[in-house]
Amino acid sequence: MIHKKNIWVWISLGLLCLLIVSLYMAATYYSEGERYKRLYEQYKSLYEKIVEEYENIMARMIKVNVLIDYGNGTSEYHNEILVQRDSTLFEVMKRIAKIDYITSEYGVFITHINGVGGETGKYWLWYFLNVTSGEWEMLWESCDKHIMQDGETVAWNYTASWG
Amino acid sequence: MVIIRPPLTKILSLVTLMVAMNLASNYVMIGIPNIKIMDLLVFISGYLMGALPGIMVGVLTWVVYGTINPYGFHPVIFVATCLGEGFYGFIGWFSRRVGSGSDIFLASISKRQLLWLNFKFGVIGFLATFVYYLFTNIVSALIFGLPPIMGVITGAYFSIVHEVSNFFFFFFGCSIIVKVIKKLIYVGGEEK
Repeated sequence: MIHKKNIWVWISLGLLCLLIVSLYMAATYYSEGERYKRLYEQYKSLYEKIVEEYENIMARMIKVNVLIDYGNGTSEYHNEILVQRDSTLFEVMKRIAKIDYITSEYGVFITHINGVGGETGKYWLWYFLNVTSGEWEMLWESCDKHIMQDGETVAWNYTASWG
Repeated sequence: MVIIRPPLTKILSLVTLMVAMNLASNYVMIGIPNIKIMDLLVFISGYLMGALPGIMVGVLTWVVYGTINPYGFHPVIFVATCLGEGFYGFIGWFSRRVGSGSDIFLASISKRQLLWLNFKFGVIGFLATFVYYLFTNIVSALIFGLPPIMGVITGAYFSIVHEVSNFFFFFFGCSIIVKVIKKLIYVGGEEK
């Protein structure tokens, strides 16, 4: 009988050990849960800040499209380029291509785009796409004077013709 | 149960030996935090040699290991761990005093008895570690100005690792090491 009692004491102690393990595991998961909750809140507010900042940046940006026609059957499309609002065409061109240019009293005149240009009687001229008529139209102003609009499409053409 | 003590010289040399074994095993296992066989060896020291030698093994081990330790030194934690480790020695002595695991000294022991005996040692190891951790975690929390319950919660993971590992160390190691060291102590048959 005493022996049996002894067995139950030890079994109870064994169960007590399991209880302690369970309690500690609960405490561990609780503290881990709290830690992850804090991290979640931190990252959530960080994410919200990033989204807000992104929206602020995007509000100051516009998308423009530029076509470069080298006049030899080769064309290059630069679609939906992100540039700052109020950027000029000259600034856009500096971003997307390697250009050479001269400045005069009329403004900037581009002589080479990506190494193409400089031939006698041929020039780099630019046109804008009239979205209403769907026609390419020429504007008699230098590219550093032209302020780009959101969604505007511009084409550069290396040609001898002014039409 | 009548416990005949071994001679003092043997006790002193065994204390030194156990401290050396503890230190060697601790530094070998330093890369595995909270898993050490030190607690088992301190317990066995108390179990075989008595409360004071057991406590001495625990305290002396921590005097060295607590000061020359890559994880750093804090005087209050140092004292707490010294006392906590000494507690294993005391529990070792107390376990033998109340007759826990006395089957180990039988000339022949069945597999079932051995399993039961090991289970008892495992439970003692687990509960002693629980008390040790409760004590050291509360001391650590108080040092860092946290409420004691926070000390227990933040140290919960390490406690489980230490308690469960000690359960297995005591389960698999205690009876075997006790038998081996007993032979060392009682050569000449001082204890019947």
